[in-house]
Amino acid sequence: MTAEILYSIRNLDVEYDTRIGGVRAVDDLSLDIYKGEIIGLVGESGCGKSTLGKAMMRTISSPGHIVGGELWFEGVDLMTLSEKEMSSIRGNRVGMVFQDPMTSLNPLMKISDHLTEAIRTHYPKMSEAAARARAVEMVKDLGIREERIDDYPHQFSGGMRQRIMIALVLALNAALIIADEPTTALDVIVEAQFLDLLRDLREEFELTILLITHNIGVVAELADRVAVMYAGKVAEVAPVEPAFLDTKHPYSRGLLRSVPNIDVDNQELYKMTGAPPNLIAPPSGCRFHPRCPYAVDLCTDDEPRLLDVSGDGHLASCWIYSDALHRPMDPEHV
Amino acid sequence: MHDPMLDEVPPEDQWQVDLGQVGLFRRVLNGRRWYGVDWWMVVISSFMVAFFILIAFFPTLISSYDPLEQVGPRFLPPGDVPDEEVIVVRVDSPIDSLAEFAGEDRVPTGVVQGAPSSEDIRSEADRVTDELAAEGSDERVRLKIVRYETLDEMLVGVTDKEVEFGVASSSELAPLMGSYPELEISGPISGEKGGKSFPLGTNQIGQDVLSRLAWGTRIALIIGFTASLFSLFIGVPLGLLAGYTGGKFDRFFTLIMDSLYAFPGLILAIAIAAVLGPSIVNVIVAIAVLYIPTYYRIVRGQTLSTKESLHVEAAVSIGATKVSIMRRYIFPLVIPSVAIIFSVNIADAILTGAALSFLGLGLPPTTPDWGIDLARGQEFIQRAWWLITFPGIAVMLIVLAFTMLGEGLMEIFNPKLRKQ
Amino acid sequence: MHPLTLTFLIFGIPALIGLTYVYVRGSSGLRSYTTTRILLTIPMILILATVVFFVMRILPGDPIDSTLGPKGTAEIKERFAEQHGLNDPILVQYGRFVGSVFTLDFGNSLIQSQRPIVDELGERLPATLEMIIPATILALGLGIYLGTQAGIKRKSAADYSSRIFSVMIYAMPIFWLGLLFQLIFGVWLGWTPIAGRIDPTIPLDRITNFLTIDAIITGNWVALRSVLAHLILPTLTLGLVLSGVFLRLTRINVIETNQEDYVAAARARGINQGTITRRYALQNALIPVVTLIGLQVAILVAGAVLTETVFAWPGMGRYLIQRILSRDFTAVQSVIVFFALFVAVISLVVDILYSLLDPRVRY
Repeated sequence: MTAEILYSIRNLDVEYDTRIGGVRAVDDLSLDIYKGEIIGLVGESGCGKSTLGKAMMRTISSPGHIVGGELWFEGVDLMTLSEKEMSSIRGNRVGMVFQDPMTSLNPLMKISDHLTEAIRTHYPKMSEAAARARAVEMVKDLGIREERIDDYPHQFSGGMRQRIMIALVLALNAALIIADEPTTALDVIVEAQFLDLLRDLREEFELTILLITHNIGVVAELADRVAVMYAGKVAEVAPVEPAFLDTKHPYSRGLLRSVPNIDVDNQELYKMTGAPPNLIAPPSGCRFHPRCPYAVDLCTDDEPRLLDVSGDGHLASCWIYSDALHRPMDPEHV
Repeated sequence: MHDPMLDEVPPEDQWQVDLGQVGLFRRVLNGRRWYGVDWWMVVISSFMVAFFILIAFFPTLISSYDPLEQVGPRFLPPGDVPDEEVIVVRVDSPIDSLAEFAGEDRVPTGVVQGAPSSEDIRSEADRVTDELAAEGSDERVRLKIVRYETLDEMLVGVTDKEVEFGVASSSELAPLMGSYPELEISGPISGEKGGKSFPLGTNQIGQDVLSRLAWGTRIALIIGFTASLFSLFIGVPLGLLAGYTGGKFDRFFTLIMDSLYAFPGLILAIAIAAVLGPSIVNVIVAIAVLYIPTYYRIVRGQTLSTKESLHVEAAVSIGATKVSIMRRYIFPLVIPSVAIIFSVNIADAILTGAALSFLGLGLPPTTPDWGIDLARGQEFIQRAWWLITFPGIAVMLIVLAFTMLGEGLMEIFNPKLRKQ
Repeated sequence: MHPLTLTFLIFGIPALIGLTYVYVRGSSGLRSYTTTRILLTIPMILILATVVFFVMRILPGDPIDSTLGPKGTAEIKERFAEQHGLNDPILVQYGRFVGSVFTLDFGNSLIQSQRPIVDELGERLPATLEMIIPATILALGLGIYLGTQAGIKRKSAADYSSRIFSVMIYAMPIFWLGLLFQLIFGVWLGWTPIAGRIDPTIPLDRITNFLTIDAIITGNWVALRSVLAHLILPTLTLGLVLSGVFLRLTRINVIETNQEDYVAAARARGINQGTITRRYALQNALIPVVTLIGLQVAILVAGAVLTETVFAWPGMGRYLIQRILSRDFTAVQSVIVFFALFVAVISLVVDILYSLLDPRVRY
């Protein structure tokens, strides 16, 4: 792949302090995001995908904190920036859309205030009137009537609020949008509309979108690439077609196949055994080995690395594909 | 097609196995690792509560004096050894006891003006008279008190035989005795008192402050526990009933309870206590009325939310009666919150009880009660700081103990309750 | 001007302005909410009046006997009862009493001067207000400031010390705190007077019965100094106790608001921390605190009664206690109902204020 890398996560560690010890929610994770793509980040609840999203903007709040790693964005390691410099990147160059649009807006502020505040935070020289004009333009672009801009958040429906959240990101010239479960709180029809909107906007504004979700269907429909996370690590990264059709990692298979498919009759729904590991005391070796049907001794002892398994950017971290244990998966199990 | 993933039974987590094997004590002890500060709060306050309950049952463990008796001199500061009141006589006419003067007509006795010795010697004379009467004698010890401006004048008076003897405090006498060779100190006016010190001092009528504190614990706990229990027994069933049945019954009681709740409870307690008159039962009634709405509101709120829950709906669908649903499906769920409220409530009731007796509306004025002691102490704030300091600390500690216990439990069992 | 009128203007004018605003600008939902809220205040006052009235009548203890004492002959008693309408059927008495709640004409005191009770209240109420208004301001300022600091910097030294402060203050009987202040600042240090409103040797014309205002109007600076010195300890006592309550409320609300999604979202938009704290966390956290002020009026009034007793402050609370001890039941029930009115009006004002602050209620 020749595309330009927009955001590169290198060996990121994020830990949460709890009463009984530190929890590594993100553990030595590396991931590249290319310019102009929509990359879907999927995984079970608690695998660290939301934490990763927040860490990318350095907005992890206590008791969590970034322990180490590098976050390269537009030629700068964000970890080296001061809080003030980081603030000017947040919202301005990297925007975030949250899970629940009902609670992501300050109930005491008008929509216009939200927008003008965001614009004027990053362009302090812009006049109040100019900021407002831009806000109006933005809102109209997203299909909300101009006269509603002075309403309060509670007067909008969930779908409209999510559009306002997008407007808040687009009002600035964000290059990357991190969307953390943006459709979970929406009903199916609104969700479809919202996804269409996202696709259009990406064309119009040349956006790069990191779509964090546990909804595999949304990813299949929208994403260019898929990254699968398990227990704070990346299990597999692949372009969307091979990710679904030629799944490499045993965990990804379980995850991607746990979605019912109406095209296939009589499909036996795939159940994964066991529960996600306890991150206070994660399993040794490969973190998936206690639940993995293919686990061998090596898996309990050593941690596999994320390797390009097919030579075309399809990465997986599983001993099956290493030279140490070259044993292709039995296609019968698919 | 066989898939090994489908077969595997998820292994039970090790911690669940471990938990099943440890005893209750071990579990509570291990709680400190998980609950941290809140666990310590609960443990420390439990010990404090246990300590206060122990004192309430055995006040004499703390201080053996009778809280209603005068056991020492008045206004004796904490830990001080009291000045003895001693009798000064001429060396040539020693006195063993005041009983020697029985039957004599008004024995002239020297005192210094303004010193407490005149009262003390008089009461000693009365005591001796009573003793004589008990032995069958009808003779009395009668004194004629002669007041001198200064101690020196009195000592001269004794030397010049103006009076039979003089009474003064030993510490004041000590530096002067050298200049009056013909005088000697015969001894304390009475063998009983004097010489003893009191850890928290004595009050305006010579009662031991510490023993009044210890006995006051009993009063405070009786008021706290019974008043809270009383409101619990009324508030909880009413709340259950109103929350579960709803409708007019609910609206009627909620309006009354909300009105009571919004009104300053102390004022209402003052009114009720004033009308009923001073007695401990009346104080309990007055306080109990205040806290009924607290239980009512919490229980009604929880009943309303559990009413909608699946397990109650399931019970309804299999035809359980209203009473059994309330008793078996809803009541058990409100017990933890009620227990927490109960603990905090005891603290509030003790505070209110102390306030009532401070205002002079609660208990009969001789009761060894912290509020009464504080009110009395205020009159003597200029000369005896210890009278208002220690009862206040006692109230604060007991309230702290019950509040911390309730809050710690709340934080552990039901953090949401805090907001209400 | 009657001092009572003045007092009612202080609370009535903001209430009226608020109400007008609600009815002119608010949504129909808010208007009907406010109307219901006002209408609900009436049964609340009636319920309290009824409880007080029947507690006074039905519980053992005869007001005539206890007022006149053993010296009252049958004839004197009869005349006394006649004079105060105590011979009327109980329902007539009840009706008259309930009427008095709305006309504020409580009749005459049973004892001594037999002055109209409303006149006596007129003298006492300004004294109470003069103490509780600065105390409330102190409590709000201190409580909200410390609570915010503690809530923002959670688990810091500031947080732990404010929590310890609020727990200690909560457990401390207010009258004991007053006594301690008297002991420390009055007796030991000798900085402040320990009782009363003003040095009795200083002459001051009473116009409004708010002594600070009277002193300023008449330009009597010596009196003003004395009045302020007398105000310090009672205000501090009541204010500190109340501040503990506000501290707890503010802290919890700030912590909860800080965990809201919109705070995280604002941070992700690069809004600076100061703006987030002020505009997002604090504003949202303080709205529930405002509503709770309404509930704290009960604590305020109870605290005022005790504080007045400790500092011999000639206000409503001390009047209530004095009249209870002298068994003047007409006065007692009037004062209690007056307190009920006071609480009801304040919580109404606070509720309206709340609806003005929160757009979710307003629209």
